[in-house]
Amino acid sequence: MSKLIQIFSSRRAWAWPYVLFLCLFVVTPLILVGVYAFTDINGHFTIHNFVKFFTHSEAIQTFLYSVMIAVFNTVICLLIGYPAAYIMAQEDFKTPKVMAMLFILPMWINFLLRTVATVELFNMVGLPLGEGALLFGLCYDYLPFMIYPIYNTLQKMDNSLVEAAQDLGASKWQSFWKVIVPLSMPGVYSGVVMVFMPTVSTFAIAELLTHNNIKLFGSLIQDYITTTDLLNYGAVLSLVLLIIIGLTSFFGDHDSNGDEKGGIV
Amino acid sequence: MIDRFAIRPATPVRPLHCKTAFGCRILFVLILCSLFQTPLFAQSKLTYNVRMGVTGEVSLLNEFPESYAGEKINITIQADPLDSVDIDGLDYVFADKKVDEIERFGDSIYSYVDENEVRWTVWQSTKPIKNRNLRTLVGNAHQTFERYMISHTTEAGRGTGWIWWLFAGLLFAGVLIYAGFIVYNRRQEKFLSSVEQETLRRKRMGQRRHWVSQAYLWLLLIVLYAPIALIAVFSFTKSKILGNWTGFSLDLYANLFTGQADAGLNSAIWYTVVIALIAAVCSTILGTLAAIGIYNMRSRARKAVSLLNSVPMINPDIITGISLFLLFVALGMSQGLATVCIAHVVFCTPYVVLSVLPRLSRMNPNTYEAALDLGATPAQALRMVMLPELWPGMLSGFILALTLSVDDFGVTFFTKGSGGLETLSTFIYSDARKGGLTPELRPLFTIILLVMLTVLIFINIRNSKQEKK
Repeated sequence: MSKLIQIFSSRRAWAWPYVLFLCLFVVTPLILVGVYAFTDINGHFTIHNFVKFFTHSEAIQTFLYSVMIAVFNTVICLLIGYPAAYIMAQEDFKTPKVMAMLFILPMWINFLLRTVATVELFNMVGLPLGEGALLFGLCYDYLPFMIYPIYNTLQKMDNSLVEAAQDLGASKWQSFWKVIVPLSMPGVYSGVVMVFMPTVSTFAIAELLTHNNIKLFGSLIQDYITTTDLLNYGAVLSLVLLIIIGLTSFFGDHDSNGDEKGGIV
Repeated sequence: MIDRFAIRPATPVRPLHCKTAFGCRILFVLILCSLFQTPLFAQSKLTYNVRMGVTGEVSLLNEFPESYAGEKINITIQADPLDSVDIDGLDYVFADKKVDEIERFGDSIYSYVDENEVRWTVWQSTKPIKNRNLRTLVGNAHQTFERYMISHTTEAGRGTGWIWWLFAGLLFAGVLIYAGFIVYNRRQEKFLSSVEQETLRRKRMGQRRHWVSQAYLWLLLIVLYAPIALIAVFSFTKSKILGNWTGFSLDLYANLFTGQADAGLNSAIWYTVVIALIAAVCSTILGTLAAIGIYNMRSRARKAVSLLNSVPMINPDIITGISLFLLFVALGMSQGLATVCIAHVVFCTPYVVLSVLPRLSRMNPNTYEAALDLGATPAQALRMVMLPELWPGMLSGFILALTLSVDDFGVTFFTKGSGGLETLSTFIYSDARKGGLTPELRPLFTIILLVMLTVLIFINIRNSKQEKK
């Protein structure tokens, strides 16, 4: 007992419970996904599930379709969100804080409820539920994640650089493309990652927005993982998703710092 | 030639111009509101199209997603030949668990020919539906129908057309007035000097750019808030279905506060609160200790732990949920409240760590050791030296953990097990999949929205006051 007290009198050791916790509930589960992917129901090693995935045209198609939807959604969010962030970061814009607050406020309403309300809105206006509704709903849910990081970087940007560019004879268009856009790239990166990753793995929104007509990869994983017999196949699909996520976050990690994420609340 | 305008002073009428623009904006908002009163939105929402050709029996086996209590049902029938339809022979039966209520069906209200030149006759029930859970509709008819559709109409949906015309008229008048003032302004400006005209033109260009960017943001906000506004507006009516206005009523609020709402909803609210509190308290304690530890680590170990710490933040919720689900399956743990709490602590703690770390680096690192040197035990030093410095970070971490936990769906969904544990998110999900929302959710989230709005406004005011100081 006294030895234990001695160990914990060093402050460095105060992190150990958390490290243990992380190992048990973060690292082990992720490894387990791999383990389950390579075993069959009885726990024997097999690569059958992978073979099944690569020959299972529905799964491959759903996967490609989900990635495509996620890319589309990210691009749309970027196209809509960048101008909004740019306008808000403008010096003569009077109420940037209130605006930023208004853009974040909807996130406190449960996103499923917002999605259901979106469906009702589509019904009211008489628009059909389908791909368009899906993209609208996804964009609607994740737009704040795009606006906020871009707004943060644009706001922190040194405005004298833009003035310098204009003094040196750049036109407004040139100074935008050659000064402002490159300087805002870190925000764009983290916005892209923050929109792309949840979109590619989304599973409830698509179901609700299309009355179950369009299936995304997340829903497919959900279907398999909750079926006891197909749990191992579900693990394979999760592993594929995990790889995509890993690649994306590696790509996004180049320039962005973690501090934009903390800025949401 | 005599300049007949020379004697008139050339004064542009900009103030008037601004006022009309403002008026037009108000009109625009009013018109948006009035759209909800139009026949377009008031009519029936759901249409079942069932092909059938059996003489003597009409049966609808589709499950009605929501109860139609208090509303009238329309049955649209395609019959051949039309004249032989005797709708009086069609009764409807609520084939619910208990009641089989048979009434004579109502009258034909109109008939029409659709684009495929098929004649349809619409019949409407005489009385609103009483039964709360209409599941199946079975009828007896004495004719063969080709096809029929069933929809419903609300009482409040009709007779509001004049409001639409009123607003349309107002819009038209507004546009006319606006156009008139623009033309008038332009004519007045002709009598200004060219320099004045140029400055006016520049100013207008600037204003226009400003106006366009403002309009863009407001348009985004309108789209962003439209579904939420829908929830808030329809929290003030009794209708079971979102989008059906059946008159102003505070019944849903009353139900929510007196516990008369759906039992599932009540337990979901309680579970959400309990889980969020447990997860937030645990993750704040764990995360604060971890942050102190990480801060005092050597740089390589610190980097490694920070990387590990960021994994749950990068992982999307479906991956966190599935991996934990697999862990609990592998360990043979029965899933329920405990597993959900553990899972929530997993994804909340990293954020607590990140909000406490900056406070630590702002703190003087020697004060803790000074306290120890002066004879304090580590526990005392922690309580009296560290905590007063760290608590703002801990508080923001705690609040962040609370909101994350309340908002979470993916992780809860995979770790809640099948024991009937539901949080608000999973409750909404299963509700929505059944086809309708429990109506009391609308007032609940309206209240949450208002509370958040108040808190944010309060924080903003406080911040701006501090900045002034």
